[in-house]
This record gives sequence, C-alpha cells and structure tokens, in this order.
Amino acid sequence: METAVDMQVTLQVSTDWLFQLIWILAFIFIWVYGQKIQTILTLKEIEGSLSRLKNMRDRGRQTVISTIKEIGKPAEDPTPRVDRLLEHVDIEPVSLDPTGIIRRLEHIIDVRDFRLKEEVRQMAPQADETQINNLTNVLEAALALNHVYKVVRHYYLMGKKTLSFYVILQIQMLLPLIMRESEAFANALKAFTLGQPIGDGAGALVAARLMHGNEKRLIAQDTIVSETQIEGRKAYVIKAKGPGGNVGKPGEAIKQILEEEEGKVALIIMIDAAQKLEGEKAGEVAEGVGVAIGGPGVDKYKVEEIATKYKVPLSAILIKESIEDVVSTMRKEIVDGAEEAIDRIKRIIRESTKEGDIVIIAGVGNTIGIAQ
Amino acid sequence: MGEREPRRTPIFFMSVIIFMLIMSLAALLLAIEAYLVQGKLEIINIILSASALFLATYMFIQIRRRSISLGFETLKVSTIIQCLKCDYRNVREFEKGDYILRDAGSCPKCGGTLIIHSIFRESKEKD
Ligand SMILES: [Zn+2]
Repeated sequence: METAVDMQVTLQVSTDWLFQLIWILAFIFIWVYGQKIQTILTLKEIEGSLSRLKNMRDRGRQTVISTIKEIGKPAEDPTPRVDRLLEHVDIEPVSLDPTGIIRRLEHIIDVRDFRLKEEVRQMAPQADETQINNLTNVLEAALALNHVYKVVRHYYLMGKKTLSFYVILQIQMLLPLIMRESEAFANALKAFTLGQPIGDGAGALVAARLMHGNEKRLIAQDTIVSETQIEGRKAYVIKAKGPGGNVGKPGEAIKQILEEEEGKVALIIMIDAAQKLEGEKAGEVAEGVGVAIGGPGVDKYKVEEIATKYKVPLSAILIKESIEDVVSTMRKEIVDGAEEAIDRIKRIIRESTKEGDIVIIAGVGNTIGIAQ
Repeated sequence: MGEREPRRTPIFFMSVIIFMLIMSLAALLLAIEAYLVQGKLEIINIILSASALFLATYMFIQIRRRSISLGFETLKVSTIIQCLKCDYRNVREFEKGDYILRDAGSCPKCGGTLIIHSIFRESKEKD
C-alpha cells in the first residue's frame, strides 16, 4: 500500500519535471523565434487584406466590362482591351530641371485623359458623351484598385521571400489607410456606373445652383461659364460640364476670364471639397485664402500665377468630407454643406466687394451626376 | 510572376493552437492531480494552463476574424424632386438616368417645372 503511494508520488514528481522542461523549452523557442513568429503573423494579416484587395480589383474589372457591354453595345468583346488598359502607366515628367515642369505635366495629363476617353469611345461606340465620361471614371477607379492591389502584393511577396520584418512593417503600417481608400474606390464603382453625384462634386453642386437658369458657354475644355448677378455684383460662375464625370479645367477658365476682363476682377472665390480631419463633421464648411484646387497642381499653379499677375484676392470655401466620401455617392450632410457654402459666398461678396464689381466663382470637383 | 492565390488554411497556426491546448490541458490535469493526491494548490500550473488557454483562444479569434470576407454594402440613394415655383417636394428612390438639375416633368400642384434638386445617400456612419 505504502509503496504504491510512493510510486505515485515519484511518478508525479517526474511528470511534473518533464512538463516544466517542456514549458521552459517553449519559452526559449518563443524568445529565439519571437520575431519570426511575429513576421509570419503579420504576413497572415496582410494576406487577408490582400485577398480583399484582389476581390475588389476583380469586381472593378468586372464592372468595367459589364458596363461597357451594357451601355456601349460593342461589336467585339472588350475584355482584352480592358485588361490592357488596367495595366496603363503614367510616367511623370523629369524634375531635375524644374523649369516648365507644370506645362509638361499638363501635357502628359491631357494626353492621358484623351487616350483613355478615346479607348472608351472605341470600346463603347453606342455611348453618348455623358456615358463616355462616366465610363472613363469607372475605368479610372478600376485602374486605381488594380494598381493598389499590385503594390500591396509586391510587398507581401517580398516579405514572404525575405521574411524580413522591416519589409513587411512598411506595408503593414500603411495598410489600414490603403484599405480605407480602396474600399472607397470599390464603392465609387457603383456611383460611377449609375452616374450618381459623388462627394468630390460638392463644389460643382454649389456652382450649378448659382448658374441654374442662366445662359452658359464653353470657356475651356469640358468647362463652362455663366454670367449672373449676385448681390448686385457681376459674377462669372465656373464649373465642369455635367452631368458626365468631368473635372474640367477650372484653372484655364479663370485665366481666360481674367484676361477677357483685363484683370479688373475684385475677387476670386473657389469652392472645393476638402479632406476632413478625424473628429470634424462631414459637410462642415470652412473659409480661407488661397487656391482651393486639388489634384496634380496644374490648375492650382495657373490660378496662382494669373491672380498674382493682376493682384486679385483669392478666397477659398471648403466643404469637409472624409476620404471615403470623396468618391462615393454624395451624403446628405454634403448637400446641406453646399447650401451653407452658397450663403457664405454671398456674405463674402457683400463684405469684400462693392456693388458693380466683377467676381469669379469657381466650383471645383468632379461634376458626375450634376448638370447645370 | 503569375497570379498567386493567397493561401487560406493557416496550418501552422492551427498546430500551434492545438499544441497550446494540449499543454494547457496537461497543466490543468497536473494541478488537479496535485490537489487530489497531495491536497495542495499548485498556482503555477493553474496560471500556466489559463494563460495557454487564453493564448490559444486569442490566436483562434485572430485567424477567424481575418477570414471574414468583405460584403459590399448596398446604399440607399434618394432623389429629391422640387418645383421651381411652389413648395412642392417629392422624395423617391434613385433611378438610373437621374442627375441633379434634370427636368422631371411638371408640378401636379401648380403646373410649374419640376427639377431634381438633389441626390444623396443616407449614411449610417457617425462622425
Ligand atoms: Zn409647383
């Protein structure tokens, strides 16, 4: 009896000891291979995001193809052409010698836009101008999704090959932001195919409201201007030509008008959507000075140049929205923000100009789903 | 490089989780045995068991969470139609071909021109 208990105790002690050893070994293993494990875990996380990105990319490609087939009624299958366009690359102008870089950049952007529209036109012969513009926007969103997917995949595969924590860290740090932007583009696909107004069109909406019912003329490529009276001042209102997806050339338009009026303009007001900071409300309106035009900077440069030449004050009205809102269907708050922006414009005009003065009001942004 | 599908089965992690669970169980058994046979409470084994169990569940949740696929939400988009002359106003669902400032027929109240005043989506997210 006693020996049995003794035996049990010895057994107990030896298994105890064995388990302690296994635990210690496990801790040593984690201590030595901790970073590798961390790396593999991070890779897994990126893998999940990557498959979501692939999902979105495929959806984008499919949307482009089906929309072209539906609207354009092409004679041949557009798939190979779409696949070729999704791999489209833009090469930035050389910046070693910055003289005239804006002009060179503008040229490249013009050629690119023209090429993309031309390709869409050939793929969708039955589509009208508005539909061509909207289709080009769909294509652009799909292109962006494809590009993002490929860059993330590049870092993922590089990380997998090298198992280097620092290669993976680079992409992991940016991944939450990349995913937010990609999801915005994935949502944009639907807005673009249906021709719904998007958050970026807040400025265009303001201009559309101001020029509604007045005569319009084309002043620059895809850009229209309308003369109207606001608070007893003569106002030139500028926006991109809708309702197709266009951003137009607000910079060129402002330049043209200033030259037509020989610089006798009392004020330039520009309205644009701006990215809000976390914590700010969507649709909030802010005022400032300077040129409120996003994008590659060509239009911004033109307005700054010409306004400086004629010493015209520049006023900016910004409608705040998050990165997701910019390319997805316009939110109610942004529509309300546009109404508030109109009141602000009137107040600024009253406060800083005299009756009989000339003012220029430019609504900047993609005018998809917004006519005039 | 061709298209490479990201792997979906995390075999490595499943084996780590299973190892942790076995270790946890073993530590727990040891603790129980020690309590029953010797009547003493082995705090170390209990803590080891609990932490291994916690780590295993944590890893499992992590893996599960990542494999949830993303559902594209369909957004409700409304179109507001307004009369230019009177206060007639009508809200309906967005239809293909709608755009802001498009003519939308004549007003049933006064016969004036109807236009699409705005198109927007109702958003659930709060700022
Ligand atoms: Zn009416």
